[in-house]
Amino acid sequence: MNILTMTNGAVALGGRTVWRDATFELEARTITAVLGPNGAGKSTLLNAALGLVPLSEGSIEVLGAPPRRGNRRVGFMAQSRQADAMSAITGRDYVNLGFDGPRFGWGRDRSKREVVERALSLSGTTAFAAQPLKSLSGGQRQRIALAHATVFEPELLLLDEPLAGLDLAAQAEIVDLINLIRDTTGAAVIVVAHDLNPLAPIVDKVLWIARRQVRSGSVDDVVNEEVLSELYGHPIEIVVTPRGRRVIVGLEEEFAHPHPHGHDHSHEAGHEHFAEIYEEETK
Amino acid sequence: MSLGQLLGLSFVQHAFYAVTAVALAAGAVGYFVVLRRQAFAAHAIGHVGFAGAAGAVLLGLSPIVGLLVFCLGAGLLIGFGGATLDDRDAVVGVTLTAALGLGVLFISLYSGYADATYSILFGQILGVTWVDVGLVTSLSMAVLLAVSLAYRPLMFVSVDAQSASARGVSTRAMSLLFMSLLAVTTVVAIQVVGVLLVFSLLVAPAAAAEALTNRPLRAMGLATVLALFSAWFGLFLGVWLGGPVSFWITALASLAYLLARLSSVQAARRSQRAVA
Repeated sequence: MNILTMTNGAVALGGRTVWRDATFELEARTITAVLGPNGAGKSTLLNAALGLVPLSEGSIEVLGAPPRRGNRRVGFMAQSRQADAMSAITGRDYVNLGFDGPRFGWGRDRSKREVVERALSLSGTTAFAAQPLKSLSGGQRQRIALAHATVFEPELLLLDEPLAGLDLAAQAEIVDLINLIRDTTGAAVIVVAHDLNPLAPIVDKVLWIARRQVRSGSVDDVVNEEVLSELYGHPIEIVVTPRGRRVIVGLEEEFAHPHPHGHDHSHEAGHEHFAEIYEEETK
Repeated sequence: MSLGQLLGLSFVQHAFYAVTAVALAAGAVGYFVVLRRQAFAAHAIGHVGFAGAAGAVLLGLSPIVGLLVFCLGAGLLIGFGGATLDDRDAVVGVTLTAALGLGVLFISLYSGYADATYSILFGQILGVTWVDVGLVTSLSMAVLLAVSLAYRPLMFVSVDAQSASARGVSTRAMSLLFMSLLAVTTVVAIQVVGVLLVFSLLVAPAAAAEALTNRPLRAMGLATVLALFSAWFGLFLGVWLGGPVSFWITALASLAYLLARLSSVQAARRSQRAVA
């Protein structure tokens, strides 16, 4: 059974079509990247799967039923959490909220401690879970947020820009963790991303939103200079590194211009170039 | 009159019960005010209450009726219009100014305004009656009960509104609930310290507590203890040494905040040194 099925889906907000013609299926144990320029409606796609935004056309089924708010079998990690307020509490308290945050009343669930500790341990955050979020690094905070989103081992996991604002090493750690979560829980994972490069090694399928249309395909379908240039409305180059990795270049203005001396193929220089792209990305 | 005799006076005892009830509610609600960064809203609701009290006096009603109506109204307005952080400040600001304008009008219409205005602005704790004590206590207990029942969802939306909303918690409903609780607590606190000094019970103890601990329940408990401490000793000093009780309460609460900040800076320095 598919975890999520969208058929000819469209969303309109305030009378304006955000995107349409969305037809795709997500299976268990797969990772899907959602790409598109800012404002293309990537987060809206997640909101449709969460049941927060209704489709204006077509249909969507999540776990065999129309999406409904508050479904525990769907995990969600928001993009920009209110950093100020979050920083006031510890990582464990934040994950606790993932467990029973929506519940009113005085009752306590006996399994809470065990479930929360398991989520912390899967995300590798047990060691710093007692520290306030404000004292953690960006990568550690994202790990805690992943523990929060996966506390019930959801079958569908929606991650909105989990790599935003992280340095290269932290991005790689989070990518590994997303892969680990998929392997351990068997969830279908949707990752909204600005850049495919760091995710490419673990992604099974790509959804991309261009000209208000949602298209789906494999990583190879989308890593194509024509498709990407159309997607971002901006010239994009694909560079193959000496180790055979394909790097998408051109998301920042600086890199859209050809570099007269930039194509030194030594390992060192290639790495530097790569790092530079990410530094630009995180601003 | 000796101190023992002073403390035995019935109006001092009324005051004691009233400040106790107020401090209990203010500690818990104040924690959320600080966590949600809604000190401006707390401030505004107090001032809106001024218009309400002035209006009630003008109509010959008890000021507390006007306070409740105006504060709850402003709370719901702010809660509804400012559910998201983005437009909160503007909604609060406009509500505040509109109400203060009304307050000025009501006062200009009321001839014998000086006394009533003074007690609304600066509190009149030594003038509360048994009826006031009963009202203040039941309102405070109702607030505490509501906070304890809504504690988790309130925490969730305050810390991470987007995730809470995805999990089925209505951000708007929680915002309305919280603003109503804040409004009732403000009305109660105004009885003790007045409109202008509402911060001393509602924000200062909670802000001090938040500087000292990261655990929510501990912070709420500590905020309550600090509010109780400021209220009891403020009352004691006012009766013993003279001077307005609300001045003493404000001074003690501000002092507690100052000490908490200093000690949290010290603790941060120590842990930095330990790391280095």
